Amino acid sequence: MGNFEPEIVGLCCHYCAYTAADMAGSKRISYPSNVKIIRVPCTGKVDAIHLMKALEKGADGVFVAGCLEGDCHFKNGNTRAAKRVVYVKNYIESLGFEPERVAMYNISAGMGERFAQIAGEFTEQIKALGPNPVKNIKSNHQAAGQ
Amino acid sequence: MQEAKDIQYESSIDKRVLVVGGGVGGIRAALDLAESRRNVTLIDKSYAIGGLMTQLDRTFPTNNCDLCTVSPHLSQSGRQIYLDLQPMTVLDALEGEAGDFKATLLTQPRYIDVEKCTACGECQKQFPEAVRFTPGLDPRAPTCMRYPQATPYAYSIDMDKVTDKDALVQSCKADAIVLDDEPRKIELNVASVVLSIGAELFNPEALDHFGAGKLDNVVTGLEYERIMSASGPFQGSLLRRSDQKRPKRVAWIQCVGSRGINKEDVPYCSGVCCMYALKEAIVTKERFAQEIETTIFYMDMRTYGKDYELYLNRAKNEYGIRMIRCRPHSIVEDADTKNLSITYAVEEEAQPKIEEFDMVVLSTGFRMNSETAVLAEKIGVELDPYQFVKTDHFNAVETSKPGVYVCGVAQTPKDIPETMVQGSAAASMAASNLPAMADALPEEELIPERDVSGEDPKVGFFICDCGMEIGGVIQVSEIVEFAKGLPRVAVSQAVGYGCSSESMAVIEESIKTNGLNRVVIGGCSPRTHEAKFQDLLRRAGLNKYLVEIVNLRDQNTWAHLGEPDKALQKAFRLVESGISGVLQTRPLVDHTLPMNRNALVVGGGVTGMTAALQLADQGIKVYLVERAPVLGGVAQTIRKTIEGEDVGAFLNQLVKDVTAHDNIQVLTRSIIVDHSGMPGRFQTGIQTGVRMNYMQLDHGVTILATGALPNRPAIYGLGSHDGIMTQLDLDTLLDESPEKVQEMDQVVMIQCAGSREPDNPNCSRICCQAAIKNALRVKALNPEASVYVLYRDIRTYGMYEDFYREARNQDVQFIRFTRDTKPDVRVESGRVYVSVFDGIIGRTIDIETDLLALSTGMIADDETTEDLAMMFHVPRTSDNYFLEDHVKLRPVDMSVRGIFLAGTAHSPKTIPESITQARAAAGRAQTMLAKQEINLGASVAKVDGSKCATCLVCVRACPFSIPLINEDRYSQIDPAKCQGCGICVAECPAKAIQLMAFEDDQILAKLDGIFGGLN
Repeated sequence: MGNFEPEIVGLCCHYCAYTAADMAGSKRISYPSNVKIIRVPCTGKVDAIHLMKALEKGADGVFVAGCLEGDCHFKNGNTRAAKRVVYVKNYIESLGFEPERVAMYNISAGMGERFAQIAGEFTEQIKALGPNPVKNIKSNHQAAGQ
Repeated sequence: MQEAKDIQYESSIDKRVLVVGGGVGGIRAALDLAESRRNVTLIDKSYAIGGLMTQLDRTFPTNNCDLCTVSPHLSQSGRQIYLDLQPMTVLDALEGEAGDFKATLLTQPRYIDVEKCTACGECQKQFPEAVRFTPGLDPRAPTCMRYPQATPYAYSIDMDKVTDKDALVQSCKADAIVLDDEPRKIELNVASVVLSIGAELFNPEALDHFGAGKLDNVVTGLEYERIMSASGPFQGSLLRRSDQKRPKRVAWIQCVGSRGINKEDVPYCSGVCCMYALKEAIVTKERFAQEIETTIFYMDMRTYGKDYELYLNRAKNEYGIRMIRCRPHSIVEDADTKNLSITYAVEEEAQPKIEEFDMVVLSTGFRMNSETAVLAEKIGVELDPYQFVKTDHFNAVETSKPGVYVCGVAQTPKDIPETMVQGSAAASMAASNLPAMADALPEEELIPERDVSGEDPKVGFFICDCGMEIGGVIQVSEIVEFAKGLPRVAVSQAVGYGCSSESMAVIEESIKTNGLNRVVIGGCSPRTHEAKFQDLLRRAGLNKYLVEIVNLRDQNTWAHLGEPDKALQKAFRLVESGISGVLQTRPLVDHTLPMNRNALVVGGGVTGMTAALQLADQGIKVYLVERAPVLGGVAQTIRKTIEGEDVGAFLNQLVKDVTAHDNIQVLTRSIIVDHSGMPGRFQTGIQTGVRMNYMQLDHGVTILATGALPNRPAIYGLGSHDGIMTQLDLDTLLDESPEKVQEMDQVVMIQCAGSREPDNPNCSRICCQAAIKNALRVKALNPEASVYVLYRDIRTYGMYEDFYREARNQDVQFIRFTRDTKPDVRVESGRVYVSVFDGIIGRTIDIETDLLALSTGMIADDETTEDLAMMFHVPRTSDNYFLEDHVKLRPVDMSVRGIFLAGTAHSPKTIPESITQARAAAGRAQTMLAKQEINLGASVAKVDGSKCATCLVCVRACPFSIPLINEDRYSQIDPAKCQGCGICVAECPAKAIQLMAFEDDQILAKLDGIFGGLN
């Protein structure tokens, strides 16, 4: 377990979080390479299905990162996203997964340090949880199928 | 500064506009011109544009991060084909006349080829002292990269500090160092010049009583912004300089260096400091701790802008910010704690008070510098006594030199929205010296787009090494090999610097010869470079939405510099994700509409007429609709401006010009009854003339200039006695019957009559200067008359302060009251009496007056704005003025494209301010009218009607209220109005909506790609 390197997907909004990630890079602030980002116009675009599919396809953790509260480029997309993340947390908990595998963050475009900090903290959190149990189920299924 | 050598002559047939100064005002002016397809050169003495605004932490009233609001504008200015950006350049001489100037520009050597520089930072690592990157943005860290949107995105070198030139050249893998770069002189043929040269902030170290520069915990407003800023010295923590601890008590002192008569002071009001102090105090509470005590020491709270009074009320009532009305005497520091004691005296108490604070912020205002005087002298532009650029009375952007215009703080102190308005107005004026709009430059011709619908996806993958930035961390060749092994990849190739013109040509050629129909670029951030590669695809005959940018630099090699193995593994995953995603892209059509090049101007007052003339002179057909039988609006009731200019004469000339203009159709006695269509193609129905005939107007843009109404509230006895009147009535009386006024011994004025009250909460802005104007006119007729102005705050912003001082010098008595101690007005035996509590002497005084003038200000024309808001689908403020799209950055644009706003329909303002806004609206309208068709983008939500269950979820979820249920009973989203956030897509329970360019299958494909190697 000590060498466990989780797969982490970050769904980041174009106007703030994605820019903050670029900012972290341009300041050469390192964060775990486990984090891979998919850009969305607004976190309000992030659907529960995207989070669930990410977990199904093999992510050990997924986070959604949008603008600071009240600063959403599209008025309230980030608060909608936050609600959806809570919904997905409850949902996966009812399925027996750790709700901590899904998270919502708010950062502004200038906060490169904060992005790196979030990426680091979330990665640690997922490392502590261990691999996504779906992977085992999947491989068991595959084994059973063969 | 080195001597410039050769003069390069650059004269072109296409005349251009020269914009001097790249702050927000200059950027706005340059962008407006470029968007109207006029050639423009924007010069700035600094290495990158942006000006003062990029240093601010957050801006009122939304308390948003400035970086985020201004940065799209900066990168926008890097992309315009009509815009030539020349940093490190000053205007050295200007000869000739309007329409045909010869401007001499002097450019200092940068020693870096901006086209080649990738801002990788290698040179800076080796020569930290000699390399500059957006310096001036943060004086404490000249080498820091303050924000990733710097324009131009390039470094510059201070060659005097370079020790080893060869090593410097070696350090740059992009070969961008130009050792023999020299100062250059360029002569440019320009039609007009826009000065947006800004001002400096007063340095309070010149004052000895506040300890600026000596005491650690005394800072200026701007320093406080930097301390709070995420990119500031404490990374966004609010800490004291002395002990790096968070202060518990912060005080602001207003008018430091402004509104004073002492040796270092200037007499004018800097206009912006009240709002920024309130903002800083609110943000302090919001972001750090509600427990921090915030106190503002002020003379008059000048929240005169649109909705600024509401901001002041929030500061007091919601945030508990303490306001003390006084001018503090001094600050003394405690040697041990470094705390600061402020000595001050309030009017009501005889003894001075001493109070201790942890930190004190000095609200300093604007000063003109000697550079401006030198430039003004060189180019022959007159300055006012305070060294601001002198302008025409009725046209605040027109300097004393024809063809030279000014915007922003260089004209008078002003805030960002007013600077933006002036920027647009100056651009509009500058364009009037160019050939008319109809002859504007043609749009770029492109080869037809290839139809790829029947083709199997054929992907070209091109990876940049970006010098060492990507290639120095990961083996680019390994990724090339990896991509070759992925399905559908026809070409996989390294291209060095993908964004260089050589590599762009290689990619373009490869698309054509190999018949590629999807392209993936492995390089830097799509935020900065997507548009560039989209344009490349389009030039190569492919739909521009068939490209995907994989962020291998900013989000991989830069972030994982120390872990090259992991960075390589991540790069494989990102590239596979990008290729998997691009397979799901489909050609998208930018929504376009043929442009109707007529304009509708609603409202025939000064604002509407000015806007109509401005457009008509550019060859635009204008319908000017006015409900009254004659043109002129409220200005017909105003006789003189405070400067003494004759409003009537000005108005008569304006009406004459408008009526005589071939391109303007004046429609008086006309009301708007219906409105439909799309931006660029509106239809508006009016009923016109005494017989109310119906008529339909086709137009591409609309300017709303419906004005506001003079307020006449039934308070203080207004209407009950001939001696009680409004300031407008007094203005007329002064003009028509001066002999009556001459006989008066006592005149009383009451300010804020009906304004700043719960039912009309905002400040009417115009009344303080109107009262002082009339008070001075009464005094001029009868110097012996006693004139009393009863006020709450005197808001003579900017240069109006001179008139306030003059009134006090002439012994006009100013007596302050509060909302709780309002004056009483009574009529006894036909005489008018006013009694008011005077806080200074501590008792109520009773004045028998010959005339009581009430400063009733303005009130929104509720009925008109309500009707038009419904028809045009535009929003209104809580007090029924029209609401612009963005209070700071789009102050004359409405949220509906193609609809613009000007004059008092926006908020109360003076005639010159309305005129400026009218020109700004006309300028913004031209940016749209310059195009043959309007591009509405492609990333919009699209409904599959067969899946729609008509549940109304999208209708409720859309933050912009765009979805509607159509006749066929499914949701319909107007692509011309959709903003492309995708919120409805995520909310739709039937999954009937997709956001183009971010379709669900594309996002899922990207996820597949990320985990491709795992499953």
